[in-house]
Amino acid sequence: MTMTQQDAAAEAVPASADGEGHLAEHDATVREAHRRAIGDVMLEVDNITLRFGGVKAITDVSFNIREHEIFAIIGPNGAGKTSMLNVINGFYHPQDGTITYKGNVRQRMRPYEVAMGGIARTFQNVALFRGMSTLDNMMAGRLTKMHGAAERAFDKSLADIPVVNFLTYPFFWTADFLMDAFYWGPYQKEEERHRRRVEEIIEFLEIVDIRRTPVGRLPYGLQKRVELGRALAMDPQLLLLDEPMAGMNVEEKEDMSRFIIDVNEEFGTTMALIEHDMGVVMDISDRVVVLNYGRKLGEGTPDVVQKNQDVIDAYLGVSHDRPG
Amino acid sequence: MFYREAGQFSTTYSQDQGIWSIKQDKWATFAIIGFAFFIIPLFASPYLLTVLLQLLVGCMAALALNILTGYCGQISLGTAGFMGVGAFAGYKFATGMRVLGGDGGAVTAATELVPMIPAVENIFVAILLAGAVTAAFGILFGLPSLRIKGFYLAVATLAAQFFFQWSFIRFEWLYDYASSSTIQAPRLSLMDGWVLPFKVPWFTWDLQFFWGTVDFTMKVSGPGYADKLHQYLIGLIFVVLFGFIAKNLMRGRIGRSFMAIRDMDIAAELIGIRPLRTKLLAFGISSFMAGIAGAMTLFLYLEALEGAEAFFILDSFLFLFMVIIGGLGSIMGTYLGAAFITLLPIFMVNFLPWAGGLVGMSINTATVEHIQLMVFGGLIIFFLIVEPLGLARLWQISKEKLRQWPFPY
Repeated sequence: MTMTQQDAAAEAVPASADGEGHLAEHDATVREAHRRAIGDVMLEVDNITLRFGGVKAITDVSFNIREHEIFAIIGPNGAGKTSMLNVINGFYHPQDGTITYKGNVRQRMRPYEVAMGGIARTFQNVALFRGMSTLDNMMAGRLTKMHGAAERAFDKSLADIPVVNFLTYPFFWTADFLMDAFYWGPYQKEEERHRRRVEEIIEFLEIVDIRRTPVGRLPYGLQKRVELGRALAMDPQLLLLDEPMAGMNVEEKEDMSRFIIDVNEEFGTTMALIEHDMGVVMDISDRVVVLNYGRKLGEGTPDVVQKNQDVIDAYLGVSHDRPG
Repeated sequence: MFYREAGQFSTTYSQDQGIWSIKQDKWATFAIIGFAFFIIPLFASPYLLTVLLQLLVGCMAALALNILTGYCGQISLGTAGFMGVGAFAGYKFATGMRVLGGDGGAVTAATELVPMIPAVENIFVAILLAGAVTAAFGILFGLPSLRIKGFYLAVATLAAQFFFQWSFIRFEWLYDYASSSTIQAPRLSLMDGWVLPFKVPWFTWDLQFFWGTVDFTMKVSGPGYADKLHQYLIGLIFVVLFGFIAKNLMRGRIGRSFMAIRDMDIAAELIGIRPLRTKLLAFGISSFMAGIAGAMTLFLYLEALEGAEAFFILDSFLFLFMVIIGGLGSIMGTYLGAAFITLLPIFMVNFLPWAGGLVGMSINTATVEHIQLMVFGGLIIFFLIVEPLGLARLWQISKEKLRQWPFPY
């Protein structure tokens, strides 16, 4: 959060701050002021079709995700939600259609290239590095950002010169490797810099006390939180959350929802999430897209989607009043 | 009671990420290193030094394997093969790639291709170059790891092991066309002609203080020429140095990327780790160290060896045992495991006949060997069942207990 936004927030609520009994209202107003305006289209999914052999997982789905918004993908099991995230991640390559990310039509990409572009991801069934501590898991999330001092010098000076870069890169790489090997000055500073950022996230997620615990020993709810932390450590522009609240109790769900909203507000991260808890989805998301059997059923704000008859028939259902 | 971290605070993140979590560990480490460098030379017999050299080679090889298998999760059964590459590469560098006047004597075009390379006379350079060559081979044989994992990769590295064993006999240039297909470490010395005009006890290993001169010449290699003590010191330098390097690499970004690949390669790729690069780096680092272990075997430990026999498939398995018993993914465990596997047979060879004598039984060497194998088998099963994380985990548990001692909680 930058100073200007804080100031803006303070200015937005000059009167209610000193009034008694309006704390909740005050909070809501501050939130509204903190909230970054939903901006331009960040990721555009255009007519994506994904087949596995004869099975069509996704058929002609299009939607877009805008900057700073919380975007939900919902639908019954097998609707192609996770496949959609996998396509965005570069894990699956669609047979048809294009993905435009930050204004550039994306070519066929490997997952790590997508990750370097600023798209992070959490998984439906926790995919943490079980042998490592919480801290190491989150430091692993910083790996794309950790460049050696020599590599940074290379990027500044020689990376753009065609043949020279090819010839000189090995020397810079070796220099970095040796600094790593002896944990020498510049590398130590680099490590410290990233540790500081990770510690911020650890504090933000309130997992300070489990910093050194191997994640395999943590309870499920905390593992989910650490996984969110690892994704946040990547400083992503777009964060894909695959069922962040699956298998949690109400309290844990509330915690997680709060973290999601806070992340969105404080870091301005754009979010795309898959979730089955309709209460949560309708509460926290700005827009929702509904998939069914790989096709798009509807799209819009939660209110609009809730009233869409196709969506009600296929997924939401209607509440039946108890007879008598 | 003395093993407490009370009053020790990390004030910076660098301190917090240090090698030793508590100061007593640090002192203990330096004490052990100091003992190995300065005290052991005072009393060690050539036999003990030979044993220790074997231990140092084992430490180095196990370290190499632990980085690849324990940290990066790529199972390798080719450690001995890569060590062989290191040994032959070291030999070729130290003899300047030329065919010496062995009993084969056939000079072919292949040897004429590289007549201009001067023989490497510094043992450090020779061993490091051997490591570099082995690293190149390791990266080459690591290429299949992108596509195959687990047992299948183990079989691929087994193929590498067999290929190397075969080539150590088949390519006669490697052993200078000698009919016995053995190589002998060339004579190498360090600090030749460096003389001090007075004596210092620790440099001369005797107690005639200050009287006479000190000859610094270290006879580090060559059968019948080398001094076991000097060889031991050189080996110790390598093991300590590379233990330090391995620890640093594994606690930093490279180690984290290795462990990420090991624990969940799909998630690792989605947070931006390049799988092929990372795996090849692991193969590179690991075989670099394996190559050094092989060159140490040639120059420091065996001095004359036959490639296919000295770097046999069984040695590969032995290194795997070291790593499993010591603890996968632990530098400390590597050393514990290597010490355990190396010293246990030697202990039994000396101990069993004596113990047999006590009860009026004569135990011959063949029986000792059989008992050794039985004990090994039993121990490996024991460790796999009771403590799959190995001696390192036991050590960690005992440290945690020690911190609270004498109170149970």
